[in-house]
Amino acid sequence: MPIDWSSYQAIGIWDELVTERGRPRTGASELCRMLSSMSDDELLARKTAAEVAIRTMGITFTVYTGEGSGSIDREWPFDIIPRILLKSEWDVIENGLKQRVGALNRFIDDVYHDQRILDDGVVPRELIEKSKDFRPECLGVSPAHGVWSHVCGTDLVRDADGAVYVLEDNLRVPSGVSYMLENREVMKRVFPELFENYRILPIDDYADQLVRTLRSLSPRRIASPEVVVLTPGIYNSAYFEHAYLAQAMACELVEGSDLVVGKDDCVYMRTIEGLIRVDVIYRRIDDLFLDPQMFRSDSVLGVPGLMRAWRMGNVALANAPGCGVADDKVIYTYVPEIIRYYAGEEPILPNVPSYRCVEKESRDYVIDNIEKMVVKPANESGGYGMLIGPKSTKVEREKFVRQILANPRNYMAQPMLILSSAPTLVNNHAEPRHLDLRPFILSGSSTYVTTGGLTRVAMRKGSTVVNSSQGGGSKDTWIVDYE
Amino acid sequence: MKQHTLSKTAERIYWLGRYLERAESTARLVNVNGNLLIDLPRRIPLSWISLIDIMGTRAHFLEHYETPDERSVVRYLTTDPNNPGSLLSSLSLARENARTIREIMPRVAFEYLNDLYLYAKERASGTMSRSRTSDMMEGVMRRVQHIAGFLSGTMLHGDTWSFLRIGEFLERADMTTRIIDVRSVDMQDPAVGLEPYSQLQWRSVLRSLHALQAFHLAVQEPIQQSLVLEFLFTNDALPRSLAYCTSRIRSSLRTLPRNQKPLSAINRVIRFLDSVDVATLKDADLHTFIDDCQRHLSYLDKEIDRTYFHARLRVAEPQSQTQTKRSTTSA
Repeated sequence: MPIDWSSYQAIGIWDELVTERGRPRTGASELCRMLSSMSDDELLARKTAAEVAIRTMGITFTVYTGEGSGSIDREWPFDIIPRILLKSEWDVIENGLKQRVGALNRFIDDVYHDQRILDDGVVPRELIEKSKDFRPECLGVSPAHGVWSHVCGTDLVRDADGAVYVLEDNLRVPSGVSYMLENREVMKRVFPELFENYRILPIDDYADQLVRTLRSLSPRRIASPEVVVLTPGIYNSAYFEHAYLAQAMACELVEGSDLVVGKDDCVYMRTIEGLIRVDVIYRRIDDLFLDPQMFRSDSVLGVPGLMRAWRMGNVALANAPGCGVADDKVIYTYVPEIIRYYAGEEPILPNVPSYRCVEKESRDYVIDNIEKMVVKPANESGGYGMLIGPKSTKVEREKFVRQILANPRNYMAQPMLILSSAPTLVNNHAEPRHLDLRPFILSGSSTYVTTGGLTRVAMRKGSTVVNSSQGGGSKDTWIVDYE
Repeated sequence: MKQHTLSKTAERIYWLGRYLERAESTARLVNVNGNLLIDLPRRIPLSWISLIDIMGTRAHFLEHYETPDERSVVRYLTTDPNNPGSLLSSLSLARENARTIREIMPRVAFEYLNDLYLYAKERASGTMSRSRTSDMMEGVMRRVQHIAGFLSGTMLHGDTWSFLRIGEFLERADMTTRIIDVRSVDMQDPAVGLEPYSQLQWRSVLRSLHALQAFHLAVQEPIQQSLVLEFLFTNDALPRSLAYCTSRIRSSLRTLPRNQKPLSAINRVIRFLDSVDVATLKDADLHTFIDDCQRHLSYLDKEIDRTYFHARLRVAEPQSQTQTKRSTTSA
């Protein structure tokens, strides 16, 4: 049976494409009309075409199957119904992201230099000093343009009332942008006719923008600085993306063993010509693995002496070490104040309302209402280590209460949001599934925001877990100019 | 600005070239042997084990199989994941090497490679009849040729291309010598009783190298050992001859930086080949000659490895990015 939008039910949820009365939203009508005009067979054929494209294009992500048993490659899960945002709404979001990332970069730079914001008591000094992502090794270092987080992947969600919130700032090594680009390629192969009828803004200049941003960080003032992408290797879950970006930027994809720090404290790569000096490293490995001399001595992924070379200003690291200090979920609760402090403006994009467990009143509220809250530890990512109150057991809740009381600094809590949904093909029918959006923001000598971002969708009914490692899928994201 | 070729990248593309070539040779070898057996009288106990001997892995084979019958040998050579030299393993290794250097090849090349691997893998299960095997081998050869042609027609013909070619030709030269070696040993053994069928055997050698038609065109004489040997070693127009392979390796090496040692190694191979009149070689002499050839090729492989892939690079020497001197002189 073809899709019938009037029986599509997203009750109590903000759906991105369809209103509660089953009518397409502005910008979505042509798409909805086309989908409902397709027979089951046609729809299935398009879905199969997408799967074949993903398979032959080799778009994969790697999943760890557990200690000892290694990892396997899975084909990237993709839903053929795109998610649509109007340009007018997107323009506001884009400005909000620039404002937010700009302020966060100034915050990080301040934390590693004058610490004015701590002196002024806007952010408690203790929070920074006890943060496990604060790196004293970075104090006094001045990266180019005062920018620390050059590539940021902010997670946005929309609540039931239709308002967009910032859920997380991923300031360290966010991934997903290659999937955003590949989703568009797959979509063009599967629904070429839609691209003729819609004014969908292009997204394919990302690699050019990224290489421009990275070059602007070069310590040497030369015409073509040497830029490399540093990957942990092919078994990393995001290796596909590392290779993809290196190729798109036409720069070398290196592993730690390809690099060496010379006696002159400069970084070189091993090539068939001998050693070549490297100016900018887009590193996709975590701080603690960067340099076994400075951090984890057991790291085989890093480069001995790399931190020394960086601190002496002989090489640029993107993102800069230590920028995770602003990516802590408790620091997150201060971002509105951080924006007001540095930008002197009200935040354009709101935070999800958050409770800091370190403050007694909030803590008591969280503990009293824990079955309604999402409790997050300060320093985990990928959805790990969280308590989702409404879906938790009594034992789990009690365990979290004990953890909060033992280390209140390490926790914050948010009311459970009802993430927006979009129609998603399930057994050849359109059903609402929850989703989020991760745009990417580049900062160097100037700032750039991707047109849209990566839409991740929870494929299981009712689930809000969008991480691909935990069964999430994705959609192409269209910013359409509808004026 | 030109992209620099990482030592690691060079190594991986070199091995991509070798594994792709190996996969194709294996596929052809399996098919040709099937055809050869059809042509030989039934009383000839020519076993499939000689294919295992070409790969030089008899002991390993016998660890995993009881008898070298057709089914076991074909399975071992084509789809057995326990055999690191099987067709499927070669394709898997080719893909893995390509996967780690996707950034230096046209993106679609990886799709083709991925597709080739999946093609072989999907057909690897279940029993393989001779005709199914033959179809699969044809399919593999066609796809490898397609990839090789595609890379040749689209890849930047720079340093990485040179390493791909060197890997491809070194593997091919090695395989040519192996095929000749094993087949000629078969014929010397009076117990095998192949002597009267020598012509059939040499015809099959030429087929294994896809060179039968070329032989007729170039030589215009009936098939006999001395002519075949001369053709396969010295004909500089035949893409699978030693003369051709070694000359391609030399011209690829000439385009690379820091090439003195590998160049002198390839020149040694070429001088050695020139020094012997292969047409006159028989039996043990032929075997010794081929052994020496393989030793020279293996030395070249080591020299390439030492120079480009695992060089002990000295740190903190003043390095110039643009004026790396490229020697084009040959020894």
